[in-house]
Amino acid sequence: MKLRYAKRIDFTGTCPEFDFFEKFSDATIDLIRNKEKAEVVIVIDHAYGFSPSHLKDNQEEPHIVSDHLNLMGNNPLVGPNNPIGQRFPVVNNIYLSAADTIDQEETWTMGNPLSKLRSGIAAGVMPGLNPDQEDLELLHRMGAHFYNWNTVPTMIVAAHAGLKVLALAVPVGGVLPDQVLMAINR
Amino acid sequence: MIKSAPRTASEAVIALKKLSTAVPVAAVVLGSGVSVLDKLIDSTVLPYQDLFGMAPGVAGHSGTLTVGRIVEGGPLVAVLRGRFHLYEGYDWPTVTLAARAIVEWGVPNLLLTNAAGGLNLDYSVGDLMVLTGYRDHLSPELKDSGLLPAIAKPITDCRNQLSQKLINVGEALDITTPAAELRPLRQGVYAGLLGPSYETMAEVDMLRKLKADAVGMSTVPEMLCCDGTKTTACAVSVITNVWRPEEAMGGHEEVLEASKNASKRLDKLFRAVLAELS
Repeated sequence: MKLRYAKRIDFTGTCPEFDFFEKFSDATIDLIRNKEKAEVVIVIDHAYGFSPSHLKDNQEEPHIVSDHLNLMGNNPLVGPNNPIGQRFPVVNNIYLSAADTIDQEETWTMGNPLSKLRSGIAAGVMPGLNPDQEDLELLHRMGAHFYNWNTVPTMIVAAHAGLKVLALAVPVGGVLPDQVLMAINR
Repeated sequence: MIKSAPRTASEAVIALKKLSTAVPVAAVVLGSGVSVLDKLIDSTVLPYQDLFGMAPGVAGHSGTLTVGRIVEGGPLVAVLRGRFHLYEGYDWPTVTLAARAIVEWGVPNLLLTNAAGGLNLDYSVGDLMVLTGYRDHLSPELKDSGLLPAIAKPITDCRNQLSQKLINVGEALDITTPAAELRPLRQGVYAGLLGPSYETMAEVDMLRKLKADAVGMSTVPEMLCCDGTKTTACAVSVITNVWRPEEAMGGHEEVLEASKNASKRLDKLFRAVLAELS
């Protein structure tokens, strides 16, 4: 799947709507599930508690999410199944990598900006929860490189609807490079 | 929206006592696509609708309770085909309703079955695994805390005389079973997850680090509610797929097909074990 073929990307910056803490908004779920409007769901979410192995010069940096651990203790698909997807959706290989986003002919002169982002595994924890140091070490031992609050439920709903996800994890106080935002808009 | 069964365990027991004045020596709960102990002798059937006031809604579950004997003059057993799951939106009392009714009825043995994904790379599709332990990643309190406490917790050991009987009988059967059906009876740890989405590969790797051998979306609630009661519970997983990075995961249909194929061996195992219970 190539983002450059997308007719339109709804890039509204409405991450807070995905907040499970306040209830996963039905309107947001409807938006994700509306296949007429989207083939790819783009999630830009804050990430916290980066693994020491995923710091650059001891600093946290934006990542592309390559996979996740759902540690929320909940799942947005609990309840009667919406017929848009299967009762038991397979959620592997849902995340787009940088290589999926721009084909070789379209490689930018400076290279694909998304490919300059490191990829990592997100642990989805309960929104509002900030694991202590001991829990963080446990998360890292279990394979997570950082944790966040909104990506995982969004991704599960998108996967259920048969959509792909480009998920970017941005540390608090960090920003996505302009080139990355331009690449997403393409 | 959370759904609750309209009947209590006590009300279900009243219906059970009307169905059978004698208490069975064992109850068997069958999971997705698992089909064993068909054609019981002197059997009576009660739909879940009449027993619990509702029927299960997942494909592969018929939603009936049958009481009968496996052989003429043999012990009385109850077979429950289907269960209620948390991922369907049922609350904890509903998910454990059948097991609590079995406990309250006074049934001394509860054999649980489930369809499970294989985490142990030595396993093959169609293997049977007797649970020696489980990981609880679906108890209701985890909705408030998230899964970190569950991950930090050690495996719950669930070995008992009933699981040991299954293992002993299963190993003896393997020796005498025709070569085409020969399979080692596995023993391992089951991770009970909420679902309904299947695991990501990152979650599979995590569960392997946590020493789980198989993963599914049931059984743990029933095991938990038998703790401290006079009902001894054990469980067998039917391995319906093995998580390997290079292989695509099938869907629920694959689970049902694999369960069906393994059911013959499970049927032999259960009939042999039940024959020894009195």
